[in-house]
Amino acid sequence: MCALEELTKLAADLDNPAVQEWKADGKKVVGFFCSYVPEEILYAADILPVRLRAPGCTETTAADVYMSHLNCTFTRSCLQLALEGRYRFLDGLVFTNSCDHIRRVYDILREIRPKDFPFLHFISVPHKASEDLVAWYRDDLDEFKGNVESFFGVQITEASLSNAINVYNETRSLLKRLYQLRQGDSPPLTGSESLNVTLAGTTIPKERYNQLLRRLLEELSEREGISGYRARLMMAGSGGCDNPDYFQVIEDLGGLIVTDSLCFGSRYFWEPVETGDDLVLSLARSYLNRPSCPRIVDNVAARCDFVRQMVDDFDVDGVVFQRLRYCDLWGGQLLHLEKELKESNIPMLSMEREYALGAVGQLRTRVQAFLERLER
Amino acid sequence: MEGRKGTLDLVKDSLSIYNAAVVGMRSEQNIGLAQLLQMLSGCFGEACTAKEKGRPVAWINFGVPSELFWAMDIVPVVIDVLAGLVAPTILGSDAMRYIDIAQERVPDYMCANNKVLLGAALSGDIAAPDVLVHPANPCDSNLATYPVLAEHSDFPYFCVDMPYFRNERCTRYVAGELKRLVSFLEEKTRRKLELDRLKQAMEYSNLAHEYFLKTAELREAIPCPYASLDVWAEYPAVLCMAGRPELVDYFKQRYEMTKERVDKGEGPATGVKEKSRLVWIYGAPAFDVLIFLWLESEYGAVSVANMNSNFVMKPVEDISDYDSILMGLAEKLTLLPMTRECGGPWENYLDATIELLRRYKADAAVFAGNVACKSTWAVIKLVKDKIYDELGIPTLILEMDLFDPRITSSDSIKAQFDKFFTTMIQR
Repeated sequence: MCALEELTKLAADLDNPAVQEWKADGKKVVGFFCSYVPEEILYAADILPVRLRAPGCTETTAADVYMSHLNCTFTRSCLQLALEGRYRFLDGLVFTNSCDHIRRVYDILREIRPKDFPFLHFISVPHKASEDLVAWYRDDLDEFKGNVESFFGVQITEASLSNAINVYNETRSLLKRLYQLRQGDSPPLTGSESLNVTLAGTTIPKERYNQLLRRLLEELSEREGISGYRARLMMAGSGGCDNPDYFQVIEDLGGLIVTDSLCFGSRYFWEPVETGDDLVLSLARSYLNRPSCPRIVDNVAARCDFVRQMVDDFDVDGVVFQRLRYCDLWGGQLLHLEKELKESNIPMLSMEREYALGAVGQLRTRVQAFLERLER
Repeated sequence: MEGRKGTLDLVKDSLSIYNAAVVGMRSEQNIGLAQLLQMLSGCFGEACTAKEKGRPVAWINFGVPSELFWAMDIVPVVIDVLAGLVAPTILGSDAMRYIDIAQERVPDYMCANNKVLLGAALSGDIAAPDVLVHPANPCDSNLATYPVLAEHSDFPYFCVDMPYFRNERCTRYVAGELKRLVSFLEEKTRRKLELDRLKQAMEYSNLAHEYFLKTAELREAIPCPYASLDVWAEYPAVLCMAGRPELVDYFKQRYEMTKERVDKGEGPATGVKEKSRLVWIYGAPAFDVLIFLWLESEYGAVSVANMNSNFVMKPVEDISDYDSILMGLAEKLTLLPMTRECGGPWENYLDATIELLRRYKADAAVFAGNVACKSTWAVIKLVKDKIYDELGIPTLILEMDLFDPRITSSDSIKAQFDKFFTTMIQR
């Protein structure tokens, strides 16, 4: 099996063979929401961090007993899987105050399923990236580290944390190389394939992942590049954008997704963790200052700049800005992003969606019209 | 962003119409509301004339202490009150127009409170402020609207962040944020915060708060001595006027009037004979506050308390120095209604709600759920079940947009109350 196939298979399910092997060795697995959780702390404790999503979720009937139709379908789908017991392979969960929807999943699970996840931790992430708040976030991460140590009976040493950061930085470097391959006229992989690759990285041990990435880079160097596409596209927007089939619909119409600004994509790995004397402080600073989601309020302009930079670097013809219905954070961002991209003559298609792939006909029609506009 | 009608004329126009409307809603019986409007007229009137007097104007959001601004001679316009209370109630179709304008640029599911302001700003009907200050609480819609609007329209802004869990550490964090806010205001407005003026503002704020707490205690009486509409008026009064002597006068009068009625064993001035007591555990339809009068007249149902007016925190005890004041203000902010219930773990909401219902001997809870308020909708089932388990009383859950009657009309809300009273209260 080639590396791309293997990564794609691993991305398809959270409880995948790599996770099962990890557990078979008697080691722990902890799920987490949101890219603001520094996974390195868990990894340093020899615990596998798995970023939560809800692949294969087709209905939210159990979750809807608790959450409302006014809550986003990403969180309802995750709650659904939790209630169905499909997260039982996890030894714990870590939440953040990412958004109003996610933080309430934490509340609901604590109330109705207190025993399902014996380790539950909530990290309060500042809403600003200013240096004043980095120290506070550092202390919160230190508390998280302490809780992991005491609950799981492990010790996170400077050496183990340093090693974890190095492993994760290697992942970041390899993924960046992968993305750089897509800057050329004939990228060796589609956006859908690329998403599968990054998704796999959020669900399997990073050392194994890095091996697979190295293999993938080698294999791609011999793969024939993609040509004949109608336009080079960039995906931007909200979290919960983890369905390669959504990308596939767009690419089936002739658009080629060459880059993104997604927390399951480039924003997950774009900047390395710069280390200093205090490793926890290094993590705090790096995570708060990474290309951000709109929950960080003082980065409105920087988020637009990041999109513009990606457009330049990847020779993008148009941006597909998608967001989950009921996601206020990305909904508000629309106001500024639309204006900024218009001023920069960058065409943008704004799409609202649900978590599970649906309304495909409407999606096709909108994308088709957008591609026609780009071709003019 | 130039004001089409000039600086804050939108506000001035709204208030003149509102003042006229109050006469038609039996203002002599809803004295608190009438006084509130008078105060708001004064407050927004200052904003209207601020520029010509060389005073900076700040748009602030609830969760930001107005005391600091009054002490710095910066006129605070509480945009929640402007957009959420005044505009939809008074401007009617104009408010809907602002919502529609906003929805051309942002999704419909964002809070209409934010959208009214956004639409007014984008259409140029309200002049840009010198600064905008908003909290990171209680919801994503706030968080998503104000910084983006400020960047979009190019005026300076500051976010007062607050950690998720409310404790001593959280208070210190918020106090640090307030200190940084003062630096920001001093830099952007070139006004210095003088300790003496801050102390004076805090004295006014504390005195008003003490009267409020004493009145809140009197409101526990059966029959409730307070008109439903007057209870509702307290939230905007505190948000806009904390730190001003007018608020002291307001709550002093409220206290004296309430005490007199309690001593006489009288119900509210509206003359209603109290048959049941409702507590609103979230907001209320701002587009039709007369619903309170309808409930009183139709069912003898007095709305004795609501979440937003549940200011149970203590006044700031130590106002001897700058740091103590900021710590005290920070602690108050962490306990501010709405911030407390919607911005932290659900237990904050549950505990405050159960306590409120118990204290005011409610016969039923009313959840007028704003369609945009994702965090409360996500846990209202849990809250409703707990209310029943602990107090044995029902909760009416209404889905509406608090500021836009096109989502759920007054008639529809009344029909749901009709059904509720028929099937639950009279059971």
